[in-house]
Amino acid sequence: MTPSVPRFAHGSRVPGWDDAVDLTKDPAVVPDPATTPVPEELRAEIEAAMAKYPDRRSAAIPALHAAQAVYGYCSPEGIAQVAAVMRLTPAYLTSVATFYDMLETAPRPKHNDVFICTNISCSLLGADEFFDAMLQAAGTDETMHVRSFECLGACDIAPMASVNGEYIGPLELADAQQIVDDLKAGRPVLSEKQIRYRRSVDPGAGGADQATEFGVRRGAAQVDTAGLSEADAASDRPGPAAPLEYPSEENEDA
Amino acid sequence: MKTILFDNIDEPGLNTLEVYERRGGYQALRKALSMSREDVLSEIMDSGIRGRGGAGFEMGRKVSFLPHGDMEKYLVCNADESEPGTFKDRELMQKSPHMLIEGIVIAAYAGEIARAFIYIRGEYQLQADILEAAIAEAQRAGYIGQDILASGMNLPLVLHRGAGAYICGEETGLLDSLEGKRGNPRLKPPFPAIEGLYHGPTLINNVETLSTVPAILNMGAAEYAKIGTESSTGTKLVSISGDVKRPGNYEIELGIPSREIIYGLAGGPPSGKEVKFWFPGGSSSPVLTKDDLDVPYDFDSLAKAGTMLGSGAIIVADESRRVLDTALKLAKFYAHESCGKCVPCREGTNWTHKMLQRIYTGEATPMDLDIMASVQEQIIGNCLCVLGDAMAMPIGSMVAKFRDELEGEIEAARERADGAPLEDVVALGVADEQAGPMPVH
Amino acid sequence: MPRPEQKTIQLTIDGREVGAVEGAMLVDAAKQGDVEIPYFCYEPKLGNPVGACRMCLVEIEGIPKLQTSCSTPVKDGMVVHTQTDRVRHAQNAVVEFLLINHPLDCPVCDKGGECPLQDITFGWGLGRSRMIEPKRHFEKPLALSPLVAIDRERCILCYRCVRFSQEVAEDYQLIFAERGAETYVATHDGHPYVAPFSGNIIELCPVGALTSQPYRFRARPWDIEGAGGICTLCPAQCNVTFTVRDDRVLRVLARDNAGVDDGWLCDKGRIANQSIHVDERITKPMVRDGGELREVSWERALETAAGLARHQGRTGALAGGQATNEEGFLLQRLLREGLDSADIDSRVGRGVEASTLRALSAPALQASVPDLEFAHTVLLVGVEPLDDAPILDLRIRKGVRRNGVKLAIASARPSALDANAAHIQRFAPGGEAGFLSDLIGALDGSATSTGQGLSTLATLLRDGGEDVVIIWSERMGNEAAGQLGRLAELLGLPGRDGAGLLEIPCGANGRGLREAGVRPDSGAGLAPLPGATNGRDALGIAQAAADGELTALYLLQTDPVRDQPDRALWERALHSVALVVAHASVLTEGLREHATVIFPAESHAEKEGTVVHPDGRVQRQRIAIAHPDEVRSGWAVLAELAARAGVDIDARRSADVFTELAAAVPFYAGLTLEEIGGRGVRWPEREAAGAAAAAADADAAPRTPNSHRSEPVLPNQGQLRLGTYRPIWAAPECEISPALKFLIPEQQLELAPQDAEWLGIGHGDEVTVTQNGTRIHARAFLRSAVPAGSAFLAEGIGGEESANTLTEPLIEVRKV
Repeated sequence: MTPSVPRFAHGSRVPGWDDAVDLTKDPAVVPDPATTPVPEELRAEIEAAMAKYPDRRSAAIPALHAAQAVYGYCSPEGIAQVAAVMRLTPAYLTSVATFYDMLETAPRPKHNDVFICTNISCSLLGADEFFDAMLQAAGTDETMHVRSFECLGACDIAPMASVNGEYIGPLELADAQQIVDDLKAGRPVLSEKQIRYRRSVDPGAGGADQATEFGVRRGAAQVDTAGLSEADAASDRPGPAAPLEYPSEENEDA
Repeated sequence: MKTILFDNIDEPGLNTLEVYERRGGYQALRKALSMSREDVLSEIMDSGIRGRGGAGFEMGRKVSFLPHGDMEKYLVCNADESEPGTFKDRELMQKSPHMLIEGIVIAAYAGEIARAFIYIRGEYQLQADILEAAIAEAQRAGYIGQDILASGMNLPLVLHRGAGAYICGEETGLLDSLEGKRGNPRLKPPFPAIEGLYHGPTLINNVETLSTVPAILNMGAAEYAKIGTESSTGTKLVSISGDVKRPGNYEIELGIPSREIIYGLAGGPPSGKEVKFWFPGGSSSPVLTKDDLDVPYDFDSLAKAGTMLGSGAIIVADESRRVLDTALKLAKFYAHESCGKCVPCREGTNWTHKMLQRIYTGEATPMDLDIMASVQEQIIGNCLCVLGDAMAMPIGSMVAKFRDELEGEIEAARERADGAPLEDVVALGVADEQAGPMPVH
Repeated sequence: MPRPEQKTIQLTIDGREVGAVEGAMLVDAAKQGDVEIPYFCYEPKLGNPVGACRMCLVEIEGIPKLQTSCSTPVKDGMVVHTQTDRVRHAQNAVVEFLLINHPLDCPVCDKGGECPLQDITFGWGLGRSRMIEPKRHFEKPLALSPLVAIDRERCILCYRCVRFSQEVAEDYQLIFAERGAETYVATHDGHPYVAPFSGNIIELCPVGALTSQPYRFRARPWDIEGAGGICTLCPAQCNVTFTVRDDRVLRVLARDNAGVDDGWLCDKGRIANQSIHVDERITKPMVRDGGELREVSWERALETAAGLARHQGRTGALAGGQATNEEGFLLQRLLREGLDSADIDSRVGRGVEASTLRALSAPALQASVPDLEFAHTVLLVGVEPLDDAPILDLRIRKGVRRNGVKLAIASARPSALDANAAHIQRFAPGGEAGFLSDLIGALDGSATSTGQGLSTLATLLRDGGEDVVIIWSERMGNEAAGQLGRLAELLGLPGRDGAGLLEIPCGANGRGLREAGVRPDSGAGLAPLPGATNGRDALGIAQAAADGELTALYLLQTDPVRDQPDRALWERALHSVALVVAHASVLTEGLREHATVIFPAESHAEKEGTVVHPDGRVQRQRIAIAHPDEVRSGWAVLAELAARAGVDIDARRSADVFTELAAAVPFYAGLTLEEIGGRGVRWPEREAAGAAAAAADADAAPRTPNSHRSEPVLPNQGQLRLGTYRPIWAAPECEISPALKFLIPEQQLELAPQDAEWLGIGHGDEVTVTQNGTRIHARAFLRSAVPAGSAFLAEGIGGEESANTLTEPLIEVRKV
């Protein structure tokens, strides 16, 4: 018998389980602003977030996002700085940061996020194979953060990925290299497969006759982040990437 | 059928206030503000609209549970669309954000609520950016903020981005997350309508539900209630994906046969294949088979069929697919997303995941299927929130409906792995059911 | 705020009619009907139920799903089933799930034999597991702190420890990290969980995941016995159970008393039992012989001490906080009757005058500890509960968190409770009297101008609800204390249930010793002394001894060099007198240098006697272990010396002394040890308290006129105002407890960042603090909450760096 079930053993895959505390450290109490310098922009962003809520703690996630943007991940120092501004213990924020998938607590340089959905619909349509291809394409590049992700909410373009927040799909194996190339070149990634340009498939949406108003110039250097702006709508490139045939009795497969 | 939510949804610039207003946007809000709060509430009640997030609870009744009086009350729009297979709110928010904002303001008016939040999953960055821009526009135009349309009503609206956790779609997990904590579900009661966000009474509704509210006001509750069936009124966005030709969101009238959605709208599986099994309401719903394709797609009919409408997400798997693959994905997903707070869910999802892995490696016996079924029963109804049930119900249904296939998988994997013949296997750790508990001295 | 009214209702549990308080949780109500429902996560002391373990599921008629009985309040007419197949199935399921990843290493687990998981598995589990996958294994045990070991395999994630840290101690250092089955108990970035109350998590843990580093593997539950006692290491006087094995105290557990400690302990109380059984402890009598202290026979020691008779009228005596009422009573008889001296004190420094105390001790003015939880407003004046009576810190937090008590803090030094306060008033060190007179002015309208802060505070106290509790410290001195009566009167506190004053004395049994007559200006029961026979107070004794007017000193469990202000003066005093008789268990510096005779003192686990809690609760100390080595009872030694000095005394047992004391103190009249029992009894609630009321009335507190108020000294250029505090860990018992040594504070100067900036001092720099040519070394500790111009040093720590080396209010600080 070949036992290949992943086993928990000493040196578990869960970071932290096997770690004792460092007894030479002081207890991590609420950091005193007098002894915890915080970069001015980070402080301003955290304070702006806190101002939006009746309870300042609500800003924990936005504040950690901000720290992650500065340090590449929620570093212990970054967390301590957030804690100093929010008047919380660093442990409170560590607890929050480790709960959420989009907050990184393992050291990581500033990087590109490539999240590949490997949940049911995507994997039915080949996501696992694409994930392997993507890992291969990224190679050992530390600035490429390729990970499989649970359902990203875009099964209509399965298999799909979120690259630095941009949803793209349906993906083919060859797209993996294209993603790496686009990221390296600083281009919009697979712009013809971005979900911002995808039209509704619902025949009732009544948009079939306006199909030409959607789309994007292939390989366009600049993509309007507002998504559905009129500039894009007026572009002359017809035909979106996604299939736009609408069902009718005639073309229904038997 | 007339579309309500998706009516000309691809119109360029619909995400801007200008186009939305040109199409009659925010007229429902003006109308609502000219009515009494009670009248707006009865419109929502009379429309019969049920929550589109998963639980299917009547929205009007939810609003009516809010206590009256001088207190901080909150409205939270649940835009943490994370149920596998579901992507309807994404398209709504991206293409018609003002419809949602208008719905929020009207619902807040009906519930005498003075502060609102949209909790959007962190992965939806494009949609969040669009919503943020729309909120700013609506603010400038006086549709939210202070003294809305000179009516005296105040409603600050804040967009809150999550950070990646399925459990935050559960309403109380969402509240904890919005309060800046880990997204652990809370004990109920108290229900959020009595004690929710920051301990205040809180109305929580899904994006689709709230986006429908302006239409209800515009067309009138009675007219809206005529759509659909008696207990499932209105239209519903259905996200369909997997083995179909035209995956995507379709707005349907509740009560149409499921076949019409899977085959009629989405085109069915690619040529030559038949449907093997399908999830009717997201990955949490017990699976149905090709024999169930004529079940009407509405809340009650699906419940009668032993499953649920859930978030209205259909995932189709054709006959070329293995049930085991999907079961493993499912168990892995729920084990990953279990928050870990309560025991049956935390341990049960992981145990199930490990048992399924053992089938692949040829280390399982058919008795494991019995144990797996029993473990699902031990989870159902015993957890703090519904996440445990959300795995146990579909897995349980797969074991029940595809037992033969799974036994075949076990057998085949054992052969591949060169395992001992089944009859020689002593079921380790399984005590004789008849032996009873340990002797008590 | 008034305590909620309790209404009794009837419900049916497993066919039994059970009466319960409406709104009580079902799991508690079931106990009333002798029905046990198992649970792990439920612990009402931790706040609202979390419903995480799912062990307590029951069937309630009319509700389709099983409900967690820990979170279901009972209603009249409820019908509950805890024994049905459905319930049993769910219970079996939860036990099976819990044991999936729990290692069955019970034979080598420290919790074995007293483990709820073992008990519940036995009682409610199926006794089998169908899980054949390998369990997870991790490194264990790991250090979570020097005091607590963590074994993550065993953890069942019941939330108890993290809830304690987050919702009771509110230090929020202990957390859950990660999610789902990967969740584990952790701290931020590998910092240790070091906090004053951290040890409570050991007791809360329902499995062997959190164990006590000092107790691990020292005993099995069948080797040990529990003995109830009182911790007298601070005035909070928490009720404890000593875990005793072979006449050694191996562990201290909380003995939940809602009137005192609410079931919690600080780490000093929990771990300093180590000081009972260490080599550093004095366990034999010693006499100075040729300049050296040598162990001698009891007879020799008693003989030498009896030499006090040669110092008639010239002996001074001090009693430390750990002395019992009985010891104090005998000491004052020895002094007054046997040695013809009135120079006896139990206070630190000058303290509060007897007449003021009599007025403030009026039963109508006494607040109790539970009042802190239900008051509308709690005002702290010049007191830091965390250092002065730690367990009250938790009680105040509980009131604020759970009942919306509004907390106002008036202090010179930032408080650990600042984050919970509705209002904070900072004044210069020593500014209590000025603050109180300003507050009174703001309240009675006599002030011509009132600062913004003060008028907010006045409004809060006046309009925030009638039940106001004022906690004050004896350290604030007579001038400040003298105004409390007026303040209480203005707020309508006298006679009001749930409101009043709560004084934190300097010594653990400060209140009991005072009531036993260990004061220069009052006898037993705070009675005025006949004629003008008042003696010298502590500072006066030091001065007189240094000047040669006193020639002998009796030190009952105190070393004034460490405990009293003005270290230099006390060193001169001890050096000058001819005879120093001391009872001590630790050879602190003053005694090492100057004691003539040292009697080994008993620990709090060995003493028999009574003590009085700051809120007037008379509590009993009982013998948990026999005296080690040659230790003898303090009361017996005192009785012997008194008899040798000719005092007419008939004390063969400690109880005899108590009977005498109860007869001598009018407001203890009729009090017996049986009545005190294991939970204590508050004398202000007894009938005999009328005697104290009468004394208070007869002695209307002299009001200190506003015009006489002393202003804090203004610092000159380059100077800072000095405030001092005694850290919770500054105790000889901590110094000799091996596990607590890491907590012994080194001197640090807390100062404001602004001051540090102009002084050119950075955080952690070494600095010198100078005053009148006296210099001490400290490490700079920048703290934003310290008001500019003020700086704080610790006292009570051993050695020359203690703040009691400095006597003046201003200091100069320089970077080394």
